[in-house]
Amino acid sequence: MSLLQISEPGGGDPRRADHRRAAGIDLGTTNSLIATAIKGEVRTLADAGGAHLLPSAVQYGAGGVLAVGAAAKARSAADPGNVIVSAKRALGKSFAELRSGGGFRQYRFDAGKGDAAPAFVTAAGPRDPVEVSAAILRVLARRCREETGEELAGAVITVPAYFNDAQRQQTRHAAKLAGIEVLRLLNEPTAAAVAYGLDRGEHGNIIVFDLGGGTFDVSLLSLRRGVFEVLATGGDTALGGDDFDQAVADWLIAQSGAEAVAAADWPALLQVANRARERLSDADQAEVAWRDWRGALDAAQFAEIVAPLVRRTILSCRRVMRDAGIDAGAIDNVLLVGGATRMPVIRGAVTKFFGREPLTDIDPDRVVAMGAGIQAEVLIGNRPTDDFLLLDVNPLSLGIETMGELVEKIIRRNTAIPVAKSQEFTTFKDGQTAMALHVVQGERELVGECRSLARFTLGGIPPMVAGAAKVKVTFQVDADGLLSVSAEEASTGGKAEVQVKPSFGLDSGQIEQMLRDSRDHARDDMLARALGEARLDATRLMDAIGGAIEENGEILSAAEKSGIEQALAELRDAMAEQDSARIEELTQRLNHVSEAFAARRMNLTVGAALRGESIDTLSRETE
Amino acid sequence: MLAIADNYFAQFALPVDFEINSGRLGSRYRELQAEVHPDRFAASGEEQRLQAIKLSSYLNEAYETLKSPLRRAGYLLRLRGIDVEQVAQSDLAPELLFEQMELRESLAELSRGESAFDRLDELNRKAASRLAERQRQFVQALAGNRLDQARKLFHELQFLHKLQTEIDKKEESLESVADF
Repeated sequence: MSLLQISEPGGGDPRRADHRRAAGIDLGTTNSLIATAIKGEVRTLADAGGAHLLPSAVQYGAGGVLAVGAAAKARSAADPGNVIVSAKRALGKSFAELRSGGGFRQYRFDAGKGDAAPAFVTAAGPRDPVEVSAAILRVLARRCREETGEELAGAVITVPAYFNDAQRQQTRHAAKLAGIEVLRLLNEPTAAAVAYGLDRGEHGNIIVFDLGGGTFDVSLLSLRRGVFEVLATGGDTALGGDDFDQAVADWLIAQSGAEAVAAADWPALLQVANRARERLSDADQAEVAWRDWRGALDAAQFAEIVAPLVRRTILSCRRVMRDAGIDAGAIDNVLLVGGATRMPVIRGAVTKFFGREPLTDIDPDRVVAMGAGIQAEVLIGNRPTDDFLLLDVNPLSLGIETMGELVEKIIRRNTAIPVAKSQEFTTFKDGQTAMALHVVQGERELVGECRSLARFTLGGIPPMVAGAAKVKVTFQVDADGLLSVSAEEASTGGKAEVQVKPSFGLDSGQIEQMLRDSRDHARDDMLARALGEARLDATRLMDAIGGAIEENGEILSAAEKSGIEQALAELRDAMAEQDSARIEELTQRLNHVSEAFAARRMNLTVGAALRGESIDTLSRETE
Repeated sequence: MLAIADNYFAQFALPVDFEINSGRLGSRYRELQAEVHPDRFAASGEEQRLQAIKLSSYLNEAYETLKSPLRRAGYLLRLRGIDVEQVAQSDLAPELLFEQMELRESLAELSRGESAFDRLDELNRKAASRLAERQRQFVQALAGNRLDQARKLFHELQFLHKLQTEIDKKEESLESVADF
């Protein structure tokens, strides 16, 4: 008997009086799905035409959303700039990342200001990835309403296990914008295991290999006595079936000897590449034609073209196994999730690495939505809660900037969540009364290579000699993987807190504003805020550098000193104007010219830094 | 919701000892977590949910502390009133530092080649056997209440763990250039 029975105890009617409609939503890069309980059984819902998969594509026209799903996707080649596909990949990304990142060659972007997310430039105006995602979610919620005749009371939305804080926050915001109550964000591989666990009652160690359209996740789960525990996760937020298409497209260009391909031609070229790749899932050879060129791609050539991508997936598997301290022999099951796992090159590599055939019984495209639907039933209270429990881990390390732009990790990746951890820091200057805290996420040692999540200042520290004040910084991550940070000074009990918001997202207040008011109004607010924040950052940096020169000015050469002073003067002039971009730029320049100075100052205090006790009060601007 | 015990061992109904029944630790952890996890309170009030986050965080911290041999050792010292966060210079014998440096150097010198993985394996074995030996000594020192010695051994264990992490990293970087 399965431990994870789904039937109602006593065979109760699922539509009893206190029943509330819950659904699981797989908000995918390429396709999205919704699953809900119909007559006690969770299944995915189809549209009027019988299609379960809703292509994650939104077409914009002058008046707003023109089409969502297959209709929008079909117009992708004809209207490339206005049909947004793979918007999920853009969640939580900065302007610079979007412009340089693969997969977005056909779009133009609007940088956004301050906290605003960078947006796709469309005929309807700028539309950020949160809004595009919300448009997709609305269509799915409507499908559920029409199918069941009930309002959706709550949903579990899946995210890649590797999603960082900004990406998770933005997914939540997209749901809020679509009017959907989020019960929980659930990692996609965990959802897949839930679906398999229910159907077959598997126990033991499970690898979930999830290669979707735009993201790759590998998770190691342990399933014991009805409790799922995520032992380790790994993957790549920028690797998926789309990349295989890109690789084939690049090969096509090389083979056909075509000149540079115009941005507008990319969707058509990618479609050709995608068709060839899909044909190769059950054939040894695929005919391909691009412009005047005709040729064939065979399985061996394809394997060669995509070998680097396949290798990246296997390296992630290796890493996850190592993190969990488990060898391939201890794996009881391997699940394949995501349409791209239909590729024989992937199945072959997975089978070879784990030494066993993966399970593929449940449709790899639907399994995640089904698992989320099951979890939604439990969380909304339609099913007894002691069915199972999901214990998740924090996918990326969270830390704080210390002296010399180094990262002191507070919560390491793969730590079980929820979790709270504290660490003590101290002042590094005599009489220092405030401490600037910079919260970052990532595995690298240098701040610049990690993602900046938040900055805040703890003020009101009583003036003491350097190293005497004790500031306790606490990181708390909740069950959704969302972080809040607080700092407290021991002697006065002075406190500062920040609910970490995505660096390029919107906070809840702004979301509500957008729901009520026009987009333009919200933009004005954000511009004002951006200016305020730019000025604040600039002031902080100028003060810090001014103080540093006063204290350690003797270690500067005359040329260095005049360089820094000139940058200071220019920034001071810009502060009088309203241009936040200019202020940011000059702040960065000042930061840049004073880098060497900061490094040498760090060497002076290297002893303190080695103990991880000091915080760099020089606030650094990243990205 | 959950009664907080005097120490992490007591929380999981385990004896205060370095040797630990990890199967029991895991099953007790899952039982307790099933009672307090925030998912149990998804439909409850704000206060109850915050309480659930706190208790669940506490259990995670307790579990992770006992699960890792190194952290468990540090925790045992902490229970005896020894602050292992503060490393005194005198705790780190020059021989130890020298030996560590040598091991790290031979790790750094490893480059891609036929024998790289073999030599990595050998280093790994060396580190593992030394770790096992120091762990045994640590248990004895603790049992004999020779706390000063136990603390020195703990710092040695820290070094060896760090070395193992570096070996793993090295292995990963070698793998990423090699074909599998």
